[in-house]
Amino acid sequence: MSNEGAGSWVINLSYDYNNLNTLNAGTDTLDDDSRLRVTNSILLNLGYAISNRFSVESLFTWVNQTRTISQFGNEDFTETSGIGDAVFLLRYTIPNVLGDQSSVAISSGVKAPVGRSDLLTNEGFQLTADLQPGSGAWDYVGLISVSKNLPFRPSATLAAGATFRLTGANSDYLNGESTYEFGNEVQAILGYTDQFLLFSAVFNPALILKYRKAGIDKINGFDLNNTGGEWLFIRPEIFAYISPSIAVVSRLEVPLYSYVDGTQLTPTLRFTGGLQIKLMKKNDIEIENQNKLP
Amino acid sequence: MKRIMCFLLLTIIVTSCDSSAVSITDTGGANSGQNGTDDGTSQNAQWSIPVSQVVDGGPGKDGIPALVRPKMVNADSDEISVLRPNDLVLVFKDGDDVRAYPHIILDWHEIINDNVGDVSLAITFCPLTGTGIGWGRIIDGEETTFGVSGLLYNTNLIPYDRLTDSNWSQILNESVNGELIGEKPELYQLLETTWNVARRVYPTIRVVSTDTPFPRTYGTSPYGDYNTNNDRFLFPVSVNRTLPAKERVLALIDRGRAKVYRFESFEEVNLIRDTFRSRDYLIVGNENFMVIYRLTGDLAELEFSYVFDSDNLNSEILLRDDEGNEWNVFGEAVSGPRTGEFLGKTESMMAQWFSIPAFYPTEIYGQ
Repeated sequence: MSNEGAGSWVINLSYDYNNLNTLNAGTDTLDDDSRLRVTNSILLNLGYAISNRFSVESLFTWVNQTRTISQFGNEDFTETSGIGDAVFLLRYTIPNVLGDQSSVAISSGVKAPVGRSDLLTNEGFQLTADLQPGSGAWDYVGLISVSKNLPFRPSATLAAGATFRLTGANSDYLNGESTYEFGNEVQAILGYTDQFLLFSAVFNPALILKYRKAGIDKINGFDLNNTGGEWLFIRPEIFAYISPSIAVVSRLEVPLYSYVDGTQLTPTLRFTGGLQIKLMKKNDIEIENQNKLP
Repeated sequence: MKRIMCFLLLTIIVTSCDSSAVSITDTGGANSGQNGTDDGTSQNAQWSIPVSQVVDGGPGKDGIPALVRPKMVNADSDEISVLRPNDLVLVFKDGDDVRAYPHIILDWHEIINDNVGDVSLAITFCPLTGTGIGWGRIIDGEETTFGVSGLLYNTNLIPYDRLTDSNWSQILNESVNGELIGEKPELYQLLETTWNVARRVYPTIRVVSTDTPFPRTYGTSPYGDYNTNNDRFLFPVSVNRTLPAKERVLALIDRGRAKVYRFESFEEVNLIRDTFRSRDYLIVGNENFMVIYRLTGDLAELEFSYVFDSDNLNSEILLRDDEGNEWNVFGEAVSGPRTGEFLGKTESMMAQWFSIPAFYPTEIYGQ
């Protein structure tokens, strides 16, 4: 989230749908669509600018996960839901470090295990980590992002960023008899954003390439096969400003390249839709309005 | 004020979801079982094993797809070219029909439902305990198939039958939940040995093809070095460290207790006569396999000698006795006055050591 100036709030409330219905062995897609995993999430992202350079950010989630196996004429359906883990970040933004209309931001923080990681089925069976809404572990999260408006087209922005997640271990896994650690993760994005006016509303379309690499999970300190991999996604997205401070956001993410360790389900499609609200000081709004397209 | 209200509203939306929930339904057709409740849940609440130690392994019910009457091919077929000479197979014999079920296929399917002659057979195999057991598929006069429930108890396979949706513990050889709770399947003797030995002993053997309805990377274990790493476990289980945890042993089960035999016991001899729980047994082994027979009646009076020669193509003869009978590896007299008779069958299986004491009070032969 960007720093909109001291005293400003940025609030994102969104719904995220993540569909995994592609079974891969390495980079090969297997002819088997009997397994479907869907994650539905509600995400509340709050950012507050303490100053023009320092801001704090948090992400709260509610997660619903489903697993559907359609095989031999039967359908087996498992669903879990609950509050997911939360992320807290401190961000430092350096404006104009790469010339006018540019910024570099560095964030650092934690993912706190506020979500349940010990859900049982109705019968009392223990569920594995990937069906739990929370991870049961503290993770370190770091981000760096760079953006710059193009001199020859001031409405356009090039942005790049990277996210790192160094995971901790859940030492209370499966009745406290095991430890589980999700693989470390790195994501990098490269995006282009522009702006146009339509029906008196400002639209910011963007096209983003996202690379994600997830390490292999560990159970009791040993690698867990069939976890981890590398992906390249393309993500078209659009912000539609229905007022100077409120935008409707939608984005679609589809994989261009998928490599998984072993054999596992890999992302098929992801959609996110929501609202972004900027609550700025009055004088900031006036300045921003002056900067919008006529 | 408007801003504050907006913020509060969003906070309330999210925090109102402060509840965790789980639901499972099995919305099958005719095969979904008869224990279902009105909400479609097909499970019966009563289990004969501690539910708190049952784990949902991750893939879900039928997420690991059992095979039904798979395509069988000859030993030299290209469709099984990934099977290496030292790979383990489970061999079943009914008359002249001899079939091999390779671990490299069972690793991905865990259960193979097959019909061999008039035998309705389920090869059940748990890659996490190394146990391969042949179960009959006739229940109360009706043929069923077994599927993979996706559940594990003591990190061991829990199959379910599609006739009643009852869940079964593989190593306990018993239904542990559902309409059939407490029932035991008919057991069929399997030989676990290397593919090289199996196809030399039975050159006409047929083997499961890798051409299954479920494309998988056969030949690559989905569990990495699990079979050889004595410290690596994916799910909680009490591990007895008397022997290396993953050592392959022959386990004899008799009325709730177990005795295991090790390959190292057959380095000097190939025949062991033993008594366990007041019953007489004959255990035969070499570097490639171990088998066990119960000796009852006048069979216990016979003097056996080991005559197996794995280099002798097409020779299944394992034993010769002082009556002049020759017995094959499945304990069948194939020549001599007792031709057609069988040595006594046992409840036994090859297994990774740790898995047996996790289920049964266990003693080790020679200790």
